[in-house]
Amino acid sequence: MTEHMQITFDEKSYNVEAIQKAAYRSLNIFTVDISITDGKINCLLQPNIGTSEAGFAHSVEEFKKDVLDQHLRIKLKAETEPIRNLILGIAFSNTGLQGGE
Amino acid sequence: MSKFKDLESYVSAEQYNLLPFKFDRLNDQEYILTNMVGEFHIIPSQKLETIIGHRLTEDDSDFANLRAKHFIHLPKENAPVELLALKLRTKLARLANFTNLHLFVVTLRCDHSCPYCQVSRQSEDKAAFDMTEQTADKALDFVFRSPSPGIKIEFQGGEPLLNFEIVKYVVIQAEERNKIFNRDLHFVIATTLSLLTDEILEFCKAHKIVLSSSLDGPEELHNQNRPRPGKNSHQKFVEGLDRARLALGYDQVSALMTTTDKSLPQVKEIVDEYLRLGFHEIFLRALSPYGFAIKTKKFMSYDAERWLEFYKEGLDYIIELNKSGTRFVEQYASLILTKMLTPSDPGFVDLMNPSGAGIAAIVFNYDGAVYASDESRMLAEMGDKTFRLGHLAENTYEEIILSDALLDALENTFTLSVPMCSDCAFEPYCGADPVYHHAIHKDIVGRKPESAFCQRNMAIFKHLIGLMRSDPQVKQLFLRWANRC
Repeated sequence: MTEHMQITFDEKSYNVEAIQKAAYRSLNIFTVDISITDGKINCLLQPNIGTSEAGFAHSVEEFKKDVLDQHLRIKLKAETEPIRNLILGIAFSNTGLQGGE
Repeated sequence: MSKFKDLESYVSAEQYNLLPFKFDRLNDQEYILTNMVGEFHIIPSQKLETIIGHRLTEDDSDFANLRAKHFIHLPKENAPVELLALKLRTKLARLANFTNLHLFVVTLRCDHSCPYCQVSRQSEDKAAFDMTEQTADKALDFVFRSPSPGIKIEFQGGEPLLNFEIVKYVVIQAEERNKIFNRDLHFVIATTLSLLTDEILEFCKAHKIVLSSSLDGPEELHNQNRPRPGKNSHQKFVEGLDRARLALGYDQVSALMTTTDKSLPQVKEIVDEYLRLGFHEIFLRALSPYGFAIKTKKFMSYDAERWLEFYKEGLDYIIELNKSGTRFVEQYASLILTKMLTPSDPGFVDLMNPSGAGIAAIVFNYDGAVYASDESRMLAEMGDKTFRLGHLAENTYEEIILSDALLDALENTFTLSVPMCSDCAFEPYCGADPVYHHAIHKDIVGRKPESAFCQRNMAIFKHLIGLMRSDPQVKQLFLRWANRC
C-alpha cells in the first residue's frame, strides 16, 4: 500500500487558496487534509485506493508545481480584474441585454 | 541626416500592463497562455513569472507577440481593450440568436437494433411510439417562438422514415408558417437510409431536405455495430447513399460514425471506407454514455485513453492523406481549431459555454416531452428525467425555457465559474457538458480531474497545438480546417 506524505508550506510565502486549488486538481490521485499551525500550512497527502507508488510520487511533484501556478494565477487574476470587467462592460454595452433600457 | 528616428525612439519608457489571461503547463518546459477570446501564445516555463512580474523587456522575443495577441498592453493603448471586447462580442454573438436546432423525435421505432443505440428501440409495429399531428403542431408553435433568424428542424428517431407521414406534415406546416415568420428554414432527416423510397426522395428534393446518415466503417464492422433483419445494414446504406445522391445532389447526404470497441483497431479502414464512398470528412466520435450503450456495457468497453489512441492514429492518417493530395477533414478537430484560430464559435453543443443544452438545440420527443438535448432524452429513456424541461401540452414556451431544470444546468455549469475550468487555459476551447457529467458522475458539474470529458478534450487540445507547432504544413492545413465556409 502506498504511504501518505506530509508537505509543509510557510504561510508567509504561500496562499491557502492556492494550495486548496492545487489539491483539487490532484483529487483523482490523492486527497489532501490541510491544517494551519504556527504559521505553517500542513498538507497531509493520502493516496487514493489503487494509486501506485510511482503514480503518487509523480502527482506529488505536480502538486508542488501546481501550488506555485495557483499562486501566480491568484495574483494575475486580482491584478487584471478591473480591466476584465471593463472589457466585459464594453463587449456587452448597447446589446439591449441590460435591464432598464 | 536620417529621415527616420532611431529604433530606440520607439521603445516605450513606460512599463506594460497585464491584460486578463490564463495559463497552464503545456509540458515540462513550456506554458500555454490564452487570452479572454482564446488566442494563445506559448512561452518557456521560466518566463511566466517574469511576464506576470512586469519584468519582460521590449527587446525580448516574446514581447511583441504578447502585445499583438493582447496579453499585455502599454498604459496609453486603448485599442487592445476595445479589440478584445469586440472579439468577445463576436464569440458570444450566437447566444443572442438563441435556439437554432430543433429536434423532432418523430418515432422511437427502428428497423435496426444497434447495441450502442442511444434510445430504446421499439419494434416497427408499435404506433404508440410515433409523434402525432397534434404534438407536431405544438412543437411548431414552440419552434417559431425562437428569436433565431435561422431555424433548423432535424427529424430523429428511431428511424424517422418509419413515420414519414409526420415528417411530411411538419415540413409542409413549417413552410406554411414561415411565409409569415420568414426565417432561414432548413430540414434534416437523420436516417440509416435503409428505408428510402422514390416517394421519400421526391419529397426531400422538393423541400430541400438534407439527409444525415450513419456509417461506422467497412461492411463487416458496420454490420456488426448495426444489426438489422437480413444483416445487410451496410449494403442498404450504400444503396440508399447512391440513390439519395442521385436524387438530391452529391453533397446532400452526410454520415456520422460511432466508435465501438470493435472500431478501435480499424481507424484507417474506417477512414478509407469514408473515402471509398466519396465523403470528404469524418467525425471521429467517442461512444456517448447514454441509452443502450450503458445497458449493454458497451460504453465501458474502452476508456478515454484508448479512444485517444484511436483518435490520434486516425488524425495522423488523415493528415498524411491531405499531405499526399487527398482533401479530407476530421470534423472534431475542425470545430476545435475554429475556436482556437478564429474569432468565431462554431456552436457545437458539447463544446459551448454556457452549455448549448436547450439554448443551442432543443428536443421534442414523440410523446410531447421537451428535453434540453438529444442526450437528455436518451437519459430519460433510461428512466432519468433530470433534463426533461416540460411538456408541449402542459407548459408554455416561457415555462419550458425558464424552467429550473434548464436554468440551473446552464448557470451551475458555466465554465468560467466552475472549479478547475475557471483557471484552465484551455477553457476558451472547451464547454460545459452538464448532461454528460450528470450521466457519469451524478453531478452536473462533475469533478474535472476524474472526468473523461476533461481528459479527452485536454489531450486533444494539446495534441492539435503540438501538431501545428511541429509541422508548418499541418498548421496550414489546420488553418484551412478552421476557416471552412
